[in-house]
Amino acid sequence: MAAPTAARGLRAVSHVLSVPAATRHLHTSPPCLKARAARVRVGRGDKPVSYEQAHGPHHIGHRKGWLSLHTGNLCGEGGGAERALEDAFVRRFLRGTFPGALLAPPVLKRRGNLLVLCATLGRGLSPAKVYVLQGYTETLLGHFYRCPVRLELLTLPAPRVYKYL
Amino acid sequence: MAVACLWRRLCQGSAFPVNYASRIMQKQCFLPNSNLMGVRLAGSHVDTQVPKTNPLVSVSDEPETLYKRLSLLVKGHDKAVLDSYEYFAVLAAKELGISVEKVYKPPKKIERLTLLKSVHIYKKHRVQYEIRTHYLCLETKIEKIPEHIQKPVWDTLSQVEETEVKS
Repeated sequence: MAAPTAARGLRAVSHVLSVPAATRHLHTSPPCLKARAARVRVGRGDKPVSYEQAHGPHHIGHRKGWLSLHTGNLCGEGGGAERALEDAFVRRFLRGTFPGALLAPPVLKRRGNLLVLCATLGRGLSPAKVYVLQGYTETLLGHFYRCPVRLELLTLPAPRVYKYL
Repeated sequence: MAVACLWRRLCQGSAFPVNYASRIMQKQCFLPNSNLMGVRLAGSHVDTQVPKTNPLVSVSDEPETLYKRLSLLVKGHDKAVLDSYEYFAVLAAKELGISVEKVYKPPKKIERLTLLKSVHIYKKHRVQYEIRTHYLCLETKIEKIPEHIQKPVWDTLSQVEETEVKS
């Protein structure tokens, strides 16, 4: 009597142990160890994603460019931290000045003393308002940072989609 | 000053800010005696018997030349931008009559940082960042003074003459 039940029990236990998810090592399984920084995860296929969002940070310098161009981070050059702080402020400023109209993170370029901001806008605002905001941005930022500031805008009907994830 | 203009003209084409750290190696230094004759600077004692000679300066009868050799070290994060700048600089030098002797690329320098991945604890999980600096070295040799420069660089030009030289 005991032998058949024991044999049945053993067979049942071996069936459970053969399933990988039922082991003790669930918290160290590979899906939990993936990096998630600056990456857009694959979803149903209806999420529009731009070229920059689609590529992870390990592609910077190979498939991606930089959003902020200055010489502060070069070997032997100083002022990288100050430029980073200025960039952070300028990006917040632009995000607040053109609420909802910015299609992509603006690209900041520094050529000598000149600060060039390149931004893509949607077409929700009228041209007169866009010009007013452009002049406002350029004057205010010029006074804040005591350098000539140029804002170059491009209006697009819709954000550029690279693929759907 | 005129050489600085040349450098500025050489670098105006690039849209990417590259840094210029130029090491100027002067083959000959000249002091134009003719321009300093009769100049009495305030507080200076003029010795007519023994003229002060700077040991670094040698005076000769050869025609004065500008910096004979220029070495430009260009740094950048993007190799493609440095390549395009090299093409542009070599082309510009060819047009201006400056012979470019050597164009070479010193090896890149990578600065790596290893930081903790998490805000709190988890010492065994780290994240590594790196900053790459690519170099490009251009060495030129200026055979003759370009036409638009009338006088050597170290002359103290008056403002009127400066604007003429600039234009």
